[in-house]
Amino acid sequence: MLAGRFHDGRTAASRPVSVHASDGGWEIRGDDGTVLRFWRRPDIGAAEALPTGGVRVTCRAEPDAVLVLPRLPDAATAAAAAKRHRRAFRLGIVGAVAAVAAMAGLAAALPHAGRVVAELVPQSVERRLGDGIARNIEHHGRPCRAADGKAAMTTLVTHLAAALPEQRRPRRVIVVDMEDANAVALPGGTIIVFRGLLAAAADADEVAGVLAHEMTHVALRHPMAGLVRNLGVAVLVALVVGDTSGVVASGATLALANAYSREDEDEADRGALRLLAAAGIGSDGLAGFFHRAARTDRVPRWLSDHPQAQARAAALDAARVPGREPALPPEQWAALASICR
Amino acid sequence: MATGAPPTTPFAHYGRAGEAVSLGLVNMLLNLATLFVWRFWGKTRIRRFLWSHTTIWGDPLEYTGRGGELFVGFLVVLVLVFLPLSAGYGLAAVLNEQGNPLGAALVSALYLVVMFLVGAGLWRARRYQLSRTRWRGIRAGQGGSAWKYGLTWLGVAVLAGLTAGWSIPWSDMLLARTRLAHTTFGTQEFTCSATAGPLYRQFAVFWFGCALLFAAVIGIAAVLGVAAGTVGGESAQEIASFAIGALVLALPLLSLPWAWYRAAFYRRLAEGTAFGQVRFVFAPGAWALVRVGLGNLILTAATLGIGRPWAASRIFRFVCTHVRVIGEPDFAAIRQSVETAPRTGEGLAAVFDGAGDF
Repeated sequence: MLAGRFHDGRTAASRPVSVHASDGGWEIRGDDGTVLRFWRRPDIGAAEALPTGGVRVTCRAEPDAVLVLPRLPDAATAAAAAKRHRRAFRLGIVGAVAAVAAMAGLAAALPHAGRVVAELVPQSVERRLGDGIARNIEHHGRPCRAADGKAAMTTLVTHLAAALPEQRRPRRVIVVDMEDANAVALPGGTIIVFRGLLAAAADADEVAGVLAHEMTHVALRHPMAGLVRNLGVAVLVALVVGDTSGVVASGATLALANAYSREDEDEADRGALRLLAAAGIGSDGLAGFFHRAARTDRVPRWLSDHPQAQARAAALDAARVPGREPALPPEQWAALASICR
Repeated sequence: MATGAPPTTPFAHYGRAGEAVSLGLVNMLLNLATLFVWRFWGKTRIRRFLWSHTTIWGDPLEYTGRGGELFVGFLVVLVLVFLPLSAGYGLAAVLNEQGNPLGAALVSALYLVVMFLVGAGLWRARRYQLSRTRWRGIRAGQGGSAWKYGLTWLGVAVLAGLTAGWSIPWSDMLLARTRLAHTTFGTQEFTCSATAGPLYRQFAVFWFGCALLFAAVIGIAAVLGVAAGTVGGESAQEIASFAIGALVLALPLLSLPWAWYRAAFYRRLAEGTAFGQVRFVFAPGAWALVRVGLGNLILTAATLGIGRPWAASRIFRFVCTHVRVIGEPDFAAIRQSVETAPRTGEGLAAVFDGAGDF
C-alpha cells in the first residue's frame, strides 16, 4: 500500500488516496477505504518524475485523471515506463531523419518542378511578366534604334535561331544604352543586350556566342522556371530556418537560388555550342568572352551568379566548335556595334 | 470573500540552471543535425521542462503539447498563408517594375495583412499553449476570436503611429485585458477590469525621455554638420551614421523609464484581475525587471541561443516569486473544461513572429 493524492480530472479538487498494486493493476482507495478506481496495468501510462519529489501517473482509460505518488508502487511499472520512453525517443529520431530526408528530396526535385510549373504558366502571363521587367530596364537605358544596327541584329538572331523550333525562338531582341557588359533573357522570350557588351566584344562571334547562350535560356524557358524555383527556394528556406524576414533566410535563399541557376548556366553554355555549330559560327567568341571575364577585375553582372568564368571558358575551349565564317560580315558588325549612336 | 486575508505565494518554480542549459545544448546539437527541423520538438521539450518545474499550491503544471502538432501547424501555415503571401509580394514587385501605382498599394495592403496575421497568430499560439496546459488534470484554455484580436492588434499599431505613441498604455492594457479576460481554467474564467489611466504618468517620463534623446542626438549631429562646414556628400553620411550609432548606444538608457512604466503596468493589470474570488498582486520593482530583461538578453545572445531555456526559466521563477494571491479558489467547484482544443499548434506565430519558447 502506498499513500498518495488523486485528481479525478473532473474537478480541480485533490483527495488523499492509497494505492494497492496487484498483478492485474492498481486499486485506488479513498481515505475512508472505498474503492474509487481500478487502473488496469496495460492502461497505466508513463510515470513522470516531479521536481518536488514523487511521480505523476496517468491512465489511458481516463486521460484527465492524475495520480500523485511518492514513488512507483512496483518495479514492473517502472520498467514499462522506461521502455515506453526509449521507444518514444527512437520514434522522434526516426521522425526527424524522415523530415530531413523529405526536405532533401524537395530540394533535389525543385529544379525539375520549376520547369514543369513554368511550362504550365500561360504564354500571355509570362509575356506580361517579362514585358514589365523589360519596361523597367528601358526606363533606365534608352533602347537603341539605328536602322542598320537593328537589321544586323535581326540577321544574326535569325541565323542563330534557325536550329530552334519556331515557338522556342526569342520573341524580341533589343539593345539598350547601358554600360554593363551584360545581356539578360526575360520571361516571355525577350532578350536584352546592353551596349557595354557590344563595346567590349572583340568581334561579332563574341556577341553571337552570348546571344546563343541567352537564346538557349529562352528556348528552355529558364527565366520562368527560375522565378518559380526561387519561390520554392524561399519556401524551403522558411521551412528550415523558420523566419521569413531574417538575414539568415535571405542569405540562404540567395545562395541556394544561385546554386540552382548554375545548372541553368551550364545547360545554356552547352545549348549555345549547339546553336553556334548549326549556324557555322565558331565558339571561340563565347570562350573569349569568359576568358576576358575571368581576367577583368570587375566581373560583368551577366556573370555574377557564376564566378567560375575560368572553368567555363576552359569547358568551352575543350568542346571547341570551329567556325566556317564570321558571324556577321565586317560592315554589318560595324553597324551593330554602333547601334546606339 | 477572502478580503482581509494576507496574500500568499502559491506559485513556485524549481527549474535549475544546469538542467536548462543542458536542455539548450542538446536542442542546439539536434537542431544543427536536422537543419533546424528539430526546433518544434525542442520547443516542446523546453516547455515540458518549464511547466513541470512550476508548481501551484504544491502541484506542478503539466504541458501535454507535442512537437508533431507544432510541425503540422507550421506546414499548414506555410502552404495556406506564406505561399499566397509570397505570390502577392511577387505580383507587387512586378507591378512596381511596370511603374504601376497599384504595386505600392499592394505592398502596403500586404504589410497590413502580415501585421494582422502576427496578432492573430499570437492569439492562436496562446490558445494552443493554454489548451496544452493542465493542472491537477484540469485543462486551461482561451476563448475569444483570433480574427478579432488580429484586427485589434492591427488597429492599435496604426493608432500608435497616428498618436506618436501616446496610445500605447491604453492599447497595451486593452490587449492584456482581452487576453486575460478570455483565459479559462476548467470551467472557471479569469476576469480583468484593469484600465490604463494612471499609467500615463510613467509613460510620459518614458516618452519625453525618448524625445529628449532624439533631440540631443539630432542637435549634436547638426552642430557637427555646421562644424564640418560642408553638409553634403560623405560628411553627411558620416554624421548620419554617427546619429544612428548614438541612438543605438543610448537605447539602454531608456530601458529604465520603460521598465518603470512596465512595472506600473503589471501592478495595475494584476490588481484588476480576478479568478473567481481570488485576487492577484504582482508588484515587481522597475530595477528588478531591468535585471531580468538585460540578464536574459545577455544569457541568450552570448550563448548563441543555448541559454534560451535558462532565460525562460528565469522569467518563470521571477513571475512565480512575485505573484501573490489573495484567497484560495474553491477547487471542487472548478470542473473540467468542455471546450474543444485546437488540433495543431501555433503555425502562424511560428512563421511570422518566431514565437518564443512560451
